[in-house]
Amino acid sequence: MTALSVRFTDERLANGLRLIVSEDHLAPVVAVCIWYNVGSKHEVEGKTGFAHLFEHVMFQGSGHVAKAEHMALVQAAGGTMNGTTWLDRTNYFETVPSHQLELALWLEADRMATLLDALNQENLDNQRAVVKNEKRSSYDNRPYGDWFHKLQEHVFPPDHPYHHPTIGSMEDLDAASLEDVAEFFRTYYAPNNAVLAIVGDVDPAQARAWVERYFGEIPANRTIPALGDMTLPPLIGTEAREIVEDRVPLPRHFFGFRAPMMGDPRLDALDVAAQILAGGKGSRLYRRLVRDEKIAQDVSFFVLGLIGGASIAAGQATVRPGVDPAVVERAFEEELELICREPVTADELARARALIETFELEALQRVDERADRLAMYATLLDDPDMINRQMGRYLGVTAADIQAAAAEVLRPENRVVLTYMPAGEAATGTTDEETAA
Amino acid sequence: MTLDQILSARPSPGQPRTYAFPNFERTVLTSGLQVITVDLPNRPLVSANLLIRRGVSDEPADLAGATILTARAMTEGTRRYPGVELLEAGERLGATLHVDASWDAFTASVEVAATRLGAALELLAELVEQPTFPESDVARLRDERLNDLLQVKADPRRRVDQAFNATIYTTDSPYGRSAGGDEDSVPRLTTDVLRGIHRSVLDPRHAAIVIGGDLTGLNVPRLVEAALGSFGGENPKHEPATVAPRAESAVDHPIVRFYHRPGSVQTELRIGHVGLSRLTPDFHPVQVMAAILGGLFNSRLQMNLREEKGYTYGIGAGFDMRRGAGPFSVRTAVQTAATVPSISESLLELRRIRETPVTAVELAAARDYLVGVFPLRFETPGAVVGALGGIFVLDLPDDELARYRDEVEAVTVEAIQKAAQDHIHLDRLAIVAVGDADAVGAELAAAGFGDLEIIADEVLAGGGAAEVAEAADEVTE
Repeated sequence: MTALSVRFTDERLANGLRLIVSEDHLAPVVAVCIWYNVGSKHEVEGKTGFAHLFEHVMFQGSGHVAKAEHMALVQAAGGTMNGTTWLDRTNYFETVPSHQLELALWLEADRMATLLDALNQENLDNQRAVVKNEKRSSYDNRPYGDWFHKLQEHVFPPDHPYHHPTIGSMEDLDAASLEDVAEFFRTYYAPNNAVLAIVGDVDPAQARAWVERYFGEIPANRTIPALGDMTLPPLIGTEAREIVEDRVPLPRHFFGFRAPMMGDPRLDALDVAAQILAGGKGSRLYRRLVRDEKIAQDVSFFVLGLIGGASIAAGQATVRPGVDPAVVERAFEEELELICREPVTADELARARALIETFELEALQRVDERADRLAMYATLLDDPDMINRQMGRYLGVTAADIQAAAAEVLRPENRVVLTYMPAGEAATGTTDEETAA
Repeated sequence: MTLDQILSARPSPGQPRTYAFPNFERTVLTSGLQVITVDLPNRPLVSANLLIRRGVSDEPADLAGATILTARAMTEGTRRYPGVELLEAGERLGATLHVDASWDAFTASVEVAATRLGAALELLAELVEQPTFPESDVARLRDERLNDLLQVKADPRRRVDQAFNATIYTTDSPYGRSAGGDEDSVPRLTTDVLRGIHRSVLDPRHAAIVIGGDLTGLNVPRLVEAALGSFGGENPKHEPATVAPRAESAVDHPIVRFYHRPGSVQTELRIGHVGLSRLTPDFHPVQVMAAILGGLFNSRLQMNLREEKGYTYGIGAGFDMRRGAGPFSVRTAVQTAATVPSISESLLELRRIRETPVTAVELAAARDYLVGVFPLRFETPGAVVGALGGIFVLDLPDDELARYRDEVEAVTVEAIQKAAQDHIHLDRLAIVAVGDADAVGAELAAAGFGDLEIIADEVLAGGGAAEVAEAADEVTE
């Protein structure tokens, strides 16, 4: 298949803003994506959920843009937009018809430069209410809804910045003040803490001139506080188990492991392992637990790459009615043991590589995905060219690499097992305490 | 110039690059199978989608779920490839083969590198023509559906959708049923039933394959002829089944159905009625009207209930259009204490869009969005192929997509108001909710929105597996 090559330029404005531009005239569209190097890991005790609440405030207007006008202007231009917050970062993005690029750049510059001019208590209170409803609808009112938050609690120690959920707690959201918002903005929303990627139907010289015009005068913050040391031991140390009663009809196990950081080749090997374990109906876990033994309703296994000390590898299996949850756990763990013990077959590896190649090409067809990845690799790994090397890294993973990475990570003493049980059944639940050898 | 002076001047748009929906070509094979190709240079991944105009709405009521179960069971083994061997053969090509069914169509699709298109089409043909429907695998799939129905009951969002559809349609409409079947119908779905559905699907006169991507150097009709030339050849032909299914309203006055789920911190709400067919002649005014009401990020509902009141993380409204009249609904989840005010404000917005003309600014916002976003929607072959498939399935004119932006440009304030008055009916609204009736029942009864029925909690519990990976993802705006 055609090797993918994304050509781009990578430079810094005098104020430290990192600008990445990649030209592609196939479709008359352009993606603008800005990553700020601030996420929920920057939050301190008593202020959880703040990075994300702040992200909402970024849509409430700035010096020259009224409340909700950001959305209105982008949509009237025929564009789409959003923002997201995660443990390591916060990003904002617009995809617009190419003749509307200047609008998108101006909008991003205006809020980077003048957000506080529009900040008021009414807007903060409104978005606090919206975010609390987001928490209710995405987690609190959803069956099995808090599983990832519970994994975070077990995979990362209490004093580690990944220990608490990005959405935060209701108490901390209630406590967030205008002064907190202003302080957060002044600290982290500076050009030297951001990467701006522009990808698509763009004249690079023109784009550069616009970026210089709108962002060039925004002052840097030369005193952004450094994060504390996030280093972690490679293994959790002891198996953590928790039984969670929830309003669910079927028990479900969630498995979590502390894994190497993003950019570590072992994480690539685990990504390929995840495909072999649970990617599609021919995968090991699906074949055994769902098809052959018919003990699980569904299975999954995946990796979430992070840069602060460790990543998470996670999996889940929903227990079929009438099946002992312990049997499902045992079967799941046996498949993990097997991939640690024996190399995957040449055919399994070939299928996984071919599929990953297609998935990558499929994702990179879109300008918004390319902009997102360029900004991501620049922000998290200081290496935007990883966009061109990631596929080769996946395709270079060998059976021995998979076995070695799995054997290091998928160990009982590095494992979290959460078992969701239908309310009222947990006391009589038969999940046994036996751990894998 | 100071920074403030620079930012004070709003930029104006440049010269738009011309855009036209890609041209496509149609070839009809001797069997009657249509081959629709769209060449998209420099798009090395090719999307191929075989569509047959035979969908969930064509199945009999007592066999609800048969079409989707047939689709699922087709990847459980074929004559040449038992078990999952066919899927594995696809994986060796880097291709994932999908079979699925919607209300209107049966589909089999694959995305693959252009160089491997021929091989992928051979597998697609085998999958569609030669499934063996192994007894034990079909039994397992039935069980999986029944287990999934348990999860539906426990997940407020899935539960409210199921209850809303069952409420607004008469029992003789397929649209009131769950597309995947229910506790009564699923046990009846034997391998014989699935074989019967499969035979009816193998009809080349109702089938097209849409293929898009960089097709340089490929003779696509010949590749299709080689793979699918005998598609449906041995099967009896039936008459075109393109009659819209029954879609009558079971509701003739405002009603409230509240499903009690104790301790819910939010109420899942659906407010609406039987809506419109995709073939409605005023499709474009309806689209613009729905965007203003509940489609745009700054829609009236969203500005009111989210950006002013903070009752919800998000609210939308729109028409789910199919060959027959799909539902119109307002959809949201609101914090429990805001349940009654959220219904009041939603009703107010439904009344307002009927009674008060939209402003020129609102019209421009919706029109410019729908027109402007059109090229963004069709950036990839998958999206272009999907849109052309929709044209085929619903027998829409070939220039439907080419005309789209002009049609939207021509929509007037008057046309929007007429669309709202013709198609939004406050006198037969169903308000269906899943939430904590202990917390809001009295207030709801006092509000007098319509005949109130509170349905006791049937089960405590659960969510779909598909949501799991998604929930792990970042928190979005």
